[in-house]
Amino acid sequence: MDKLLFRDIDEPGLNTLEIYERRGGYQALRDALKRRPDEVLDQLLASRLRGRGGAGFEMGKKASFLPKGTMDKYLVCNADESEPGTFKDRELMQKNPHQLIEGMIIAAYAAEVNRSFIYIRGEYAEQADILDAAIVEAERAGYLGDRILGSELTLSLVLHRGAGAYICGEETGLLDSLEGKRGNPRLKPPFPANQGLYQGPTLINNVETLSTVPAIVRMGGDAYAAIGVENSSGTKLVSISGHVRRPGNYEVVLGTSSRELIYDLAGGPPEDRGIKLWFPGGSSSPVLTADDLDLSYDFDTLAKAGSMLGSGAIIVVDDATPVVDVALKLAKFYRHESCGKCTPCREGTNWTVRMLERIDAGEATPMDLDIMASVQDQIIGHCLCVLGDAMAMPISSMVAKFRPEFEAHIEAARERHGLSAAILSAAVPQPALAR
Amino acid sequence: MTEVARFTHGSRIPGWDDAADLEKAPAGVPDPAITEVPAELREAIEAAMALYPDRRSAAIPALHAAQEHHGWCSPEAIEQVAAVMRVTPGELTAVATFYDMFETVPVGAHAVYVCTNISCSLHGADDLYEAMLAAAGDDAGFNVRSFECLGACDIAPMASVDGVYLGPLELADAERIVADVRAGRPPVPEKELVRRACADPGVTTASGPDAEA
Amino acid sequence: MPRPQPTPVTLTIDGREVRATEGAMLVDGAKQGDIEIPYFCYEPKLGPPVGACRMCLVEIEGIPKLQTACSTPVKDGMVVHTQTARVKAAQESVVEFLLINHPLDCPVCDKGGECPLQDISYGWGGGTSRFIEPKRHFEKPLALSPLIAIDRERCILCYRCVRFSQDVAEDHQLVLHERGYHTYVGTFDGHPYVAPFSGNIIELCPVGALTSRPYRFRARPWDIEGAGSVCTLCPAQCNVTLTVRDDRVLRVLTRDHDGNPGVDDGWLCDKGRFAYQSFHVEERIVEPLVREGDALRAVSWERALDAAAAIARHAGRAGALVGGQATNEEAFLLQRLFREGLDSGDIDSRAGGGVPLELERALAAPALQASVPDLEFAHSVLLVDCDPVDDAPILDLRIRKGVRRHAVALSVASARPTALDASAHHALRHAPGAGEAFLAALDAALGGPGDARARADAAGLDAEAVASLAASLRDGGEDVVIAYGERLGAGPRGPHALRALLNVAHRLGLDTGRAGAGLLAVPAGANGRGVREAGASPTAGPGLVEPAARGRDAAAIARAVEDGEITALWLLRADPLRSHPDQARWRAALARAGLVITHESVMTEAVREHATVVFPAEAYAEKAGTVTHPDGRLQRLRPAIGHAGDVRPEWQVIAEVARRAGLDLGVSTPAEATAQFVAAVPFFAGLTLEDIGGRGVRWNEREAATAVPAGAAAPFELDDPPVAAGANGSLRLGTFRSIWASPEVEISPALKFLARGPSAELAPADARRLGLADGETVEVGSNGTRVRASVALRASVPVGSVFLETGLAEGSATALEGEDDGAALVEIRPAS
Repeated sequence: MDKLLFRDIDEPGLNTLEIYERRGGYQALRDALKRRPDEVLDQLLASRLRGRGGAGFEMGKKASFLPKGTMDKYLVCNADESEPGTFKDRELMQKNPHQLIEGMIIAAYAAEVNRSFIYIRGEYAEQADILDAAIVEAERAGYLGDRILGSELTLSLVLHRGAGAYICGEETGLLDSLEGKRGNPRLKPPFPANQGLYQGPTLINNVETLSTVPAIVRMGGDAYAAIGVENSSGTKLVSISGHVRRPGNYEVVLGTSSRELIYDLAGGPPEDRGIKLWFPGGSSSPVLTADDLDLSYDFDTLAKAGSMLGSGAIIVVDDATPVVDVALKLAKFYRHESCGKCTPCREGTNWTVRMLERIDAGEATPMDLDIMASVQDQIIGHCLCVLGDAMAMPISSMVAKFRPEFEAHIEAARERHGLSAAILSAAVPQPALAR
Repeated sequence: MTEVARFTHGSRIPGWDDAADLEKAPAGVPDPAITEVPAELREAIEAAMALYPDRRSAAIPALHAAQEHHGWCSPEAIEQVAAVMRVTPGELTAVATFYDMFETVPVGAHAVYVCTNISCSLHGADDLYEAMLAAAGDDAGFNVRSFECLGACDIAPMASVDGVYLGPLELADAERIVADVRAGRPPVPEKELVRRACADPGVTTASGPDAEA
Repeated sequence: MPRPQPTPVTLTIDGREVRATEGAMLVDGAKQGDIEIPYFCYEPKLGPPVGACRMCLVEIEGIPKLQTACSTPVKDGMVVHTQTARVKAAQESVVEFLLINHPLDCPVCDKGGECPLQDISYGWGGGTSRFIEPKRHFEKPLALSPLIAIDRERCILCYRCVRFSQDVAEDHQLVLHERGYHTYVGTFDGHPYVAPFSGNIIELCPVGALTSRPYRFRARPWDIEGAGSVCTLCPAQCNVTLTVRDDRVLRVLTRDHDGNPGVDDGWLCDKGRFAYQSFHVEERIVEPLVREGDALRAVSWERALDAAAAIARHAGRAGALVGGQATNEEAFLLQRLFREGLDSGDIDSRAGGGVPLELERALAAPALQASVPDLEFAHSVLLVDCDPVDDAPILDLRIRKGVRRHAVALSVASARPTALDASAHHALRHAPGAGEAFLAALDAALGGPGDARARADAAGLDAEAVASLAASLRDGGEDVVIAYGERLGAGPRGPHALRALLNVAHRLGLDTGRAGAGLLAVPAGANGRGVREAGASPTAGPGLVEPAARGRDAAAIARAVEDGEITALWLLRADPLRSHPDQARWRAALARAGLVITHESVMTEAVREHATVVFPAEAYAEKAGTVTHPDGRLQRLRPAIGHAGDVRPEWQVIAEVARRAGLDLGVSTPAEATAQFVAAVPFFAGLTLEDIGGRGVRWNEREAATAVPAGAAAPFELDDPPVAAGANGSLRLGTFRSIWASPEVEISPALKFLARGPSAELAPADARRLGLADGETVEVGSNGTRVRASVALRASVPVGSVFLETGLAEGSATALEGEDDGAALVEIRPAS
């Protein structure tokens, strides 16, 4: 397979304009500017490229939702890559920043936007410095600014560094943060395409999505759509980490088997241990087990299997790791990152952590597992944004799939801590009193 | 198991148990007539404000600049930012306390963020964090924190030292990092993330997949 | 600008057909069908919904996920379910989550019994909790300010209070700290949340997290009654509900939570909210006093009334000042006593000079009157010599709302920087007292004759800025509202300034009677408009008729006392030593007058040193009568509590003194007083107390309004305004009266802390030149009169001006204001 995003990825100096141009960079932009914006948009629509940030909404469609006409419209690149297990955008920005910038310029042209921002997570300081330098180069070369390459397109690009908050990866949380506020998600509707940054129509896309745009223009939307499988066109960067021999980013055609990714590319678990569970799309995706390794790695198949492709980050957990540890780690992460705006997420993540801590400390009974599952149900679908669900769905899946292990853990911990069943029963909630 | 704490000094959050000091004046937008701002900081904040259609967007960059200048987002630092941005210090406090990278209590100058999220933790990050804490000891020059996923699971376990990503780290690296930082050297430079090639075996480049960037 | 017109839609909720207004959110639409959907965070007064609490989740057919009813607008044909198992499960979930960390200390919580969290937990909660971990515990209660206590355990993080601070008051002081389950409400670095409208957050809080410190533990909901009234502590005349227990007012709330959209929009300022304490303090005068020798002695009503009736002996030589807290009826009866009984037309209610009758009429023309809601929906609003936050606080919030929600283009022209400058497109700083020159320049810039540049120069303004403002007013849409302060018309040049104002209104077409545009006069006194229309004016009788004889204005009355032409003064809720310029002359006049009758509730200097007869004044909560809002809305005061001590109704006192002085006014009940007053004013014809009702009625919208006599017609030919005095090393004195400068604030224990000492606001450049530092004590003065104040450096104060406060018990800048105008030159130096 020819690499699209990773073409030339390890070429020394690819982050400089000189090498990028030498490798054919900015040619796609020149080609795009020869066409009308709606023709470029048609290519994006034809590519059926689905957003690579997690939600998987078609990028061309999203761009087409922006109202036409002259007004302040914005393009925002979501580079707040914070989903545990995900590190692909980092690689793209660090090694090939101009590919992203070129993609943004083309996307801005297609969506008729003339102000753009990259919101990069504050921790990516090295990548931000590289991007800053690339933006200066692009400005000097006339790829950004007024009347780009003699066309009608005017575009400014500002790199905005965040300051450490997972929730700013949520698009409306990102917008509030970019406006200088706390990164609390907004109520939708209105959707950003209508009222986004500074209340203006805003197109928000992930780094990988925008980085794919030059390739789409280069090869044509239809040709891009022909790669991959139905409803999952193109190639995808997959970040594979956890218990594998060769963790890293791999560019694969959507529809490749998951086993191939985990074993053939990433080498499988060290010491030939078995796989207990794996997250197919970042820590927010419901877990799958060793039984699911032959699933095709694409949006629809994973959804059908009760999980999701998400950000394309596979985390492998071997069979020597207690599932309770994974659940607690996860729950604590979401509790830490919950913005606190809506009730189920703020309270539900905290409650879940407290229950898991009791389970781990041997102060629980199997009944607590039912309560925990029920609390997850109380979160799912009831929150302002998807962060609550992002904890509740994987936790729920772990309880459902590994209940015997949870029960054994409770029992073992109880024995370890020498707590008798009699003491515990006092802590068990009493039946509801009639009101 | 390591918990990523917003504050390292205990579970209580500063402010929860605090009443307002009724002797203080209300904190409106600081009057530039009575708020002195270091010229360099003022310049940085004004430059940031100029980048956005709405000056308020500069809150995070301005707080970064103030933190760099003052070492942490002290009340004084926040008042200075507020005076230049023409906002209340309260608005900036709300922002500063929301984000993990802003320090709202005094901290050491060298930030060591040890990722203890899931992928790193599967590779022993919790022990690494303990090792880092032990290595830094009571050196007030260090600010060792456990951090949520830093987006470098390919080099797990890892840490970000003054913004530079390092990994995969071994427990022994903790002592070296502290020693290097104290000596003013780049810490464990051979483990810098930016030196690594892409893991994807199929990448084709003019120089081949193993070239160093 | 066009206002939303209600269009009905029909939807189905729980199988019932509900007719609701298009665009209404489902929670409100459901109410119209008598279906209650619970919520905590939703509060339309705060702006668009935020959907944070998730309590209002409902099922809408055709949408797979549950939706928040607070943020979903009703649509025709929508089918909604609020009672299904799914919805119930969601509601029980949210209640269970909210109660995880809530202490459930209802028995010791002030909110108990009137708490939405209690009600909703009971009505929609599951009744049990499965959370068995320890709850978190914080120190509580903590002071958030001298007025507000915060209990962080009880907080459910609904966002209402911080949204108020950010999106309504825009003071941005109260914010959320931290995130997630650590989030808490607080301020910057432990500063108190002190702001003019801070108390509203108490009323907004749906739990007992924010409580009123003065009200804490004073009553339970079943101990109290609510009584509707109108706050008369400032011209905003907000509609309030008084919480009464055992004949004492214990709390003031906005009327029925949503207030009166024509008046206050459901908000109160902190003065209005907490100054009820002044009704029940020791300091209040609650019995009649008469001077015996040097001392005031408490006497029987008989003696006091007889002593006051001695005014009959001063017929032809009596003058009266009527203050803003007087009702229409009181002013009307007093002017009758003076004009009919004492043969005197020397009655005034303005501090800065009389306004010629033809101008008074022109300014009162119904066609020219803007309403309070017009401030919110106009294309442009111009404020002239007026800072609403001090002059009529609640209008500040209304203007902010217009700017924020309806993109009103706000402009400000004033001497002193205003609280609204930051929201304004144009903020013009003219020299103190140069409001006339500004308006004259604006008139010329709008096409009137005259040299716009020279006039702008005279005002100390940049001509380009005036031209730009003119263009924006002219081209920014036809609905323009100009709100102006009473000080614009003060001083000998006052009538000129008002003519210039009428010219500007004419050039902008505001006098054509178009709804949504016009002038809004903000008087100095709470009922300033009402008492003038009732005849408390040297130039106008009741209904703006030509009086039998024109009388003296306030300044002339003071001079006449000095000259011995006036020997008796009647001060009806007026305190010339605090509010009137030329304090020294007034002090002399009060000392010289043989008879000084006052109605006061507080022992002011004027009372203590000079009054011969003191009638204890009523609190508004004790009053019956009517007042008139600056926009012409007649509002009704109803007694909520009995009179304190021996206090008697003021209308009755006036009538009784009149009877003893030989004039039977023919009123024996408050209703008769109102009827007599209404009958005397042609443009109130047919108005009854029932018409006024609970919400008031704008007389200028009634048919009878055509009976206003025609006034002088714009455009006028304008004199060249005087050039603002060059500072020349000294400073121009500008004055203002703060919202807190009032006796009610000074004697209310909770508010006392806001009555600060006088400050001198100064530009940093002037301070440097004079070698003065922020906070330093200085003496400001001219011609030997000095006022002590502490320096307050303000970057926004124009160089060459200093601003001092009036209305203070001590150090009031009225000491420095000449009779001529407010633009005196003063020296400033460190206090010795």
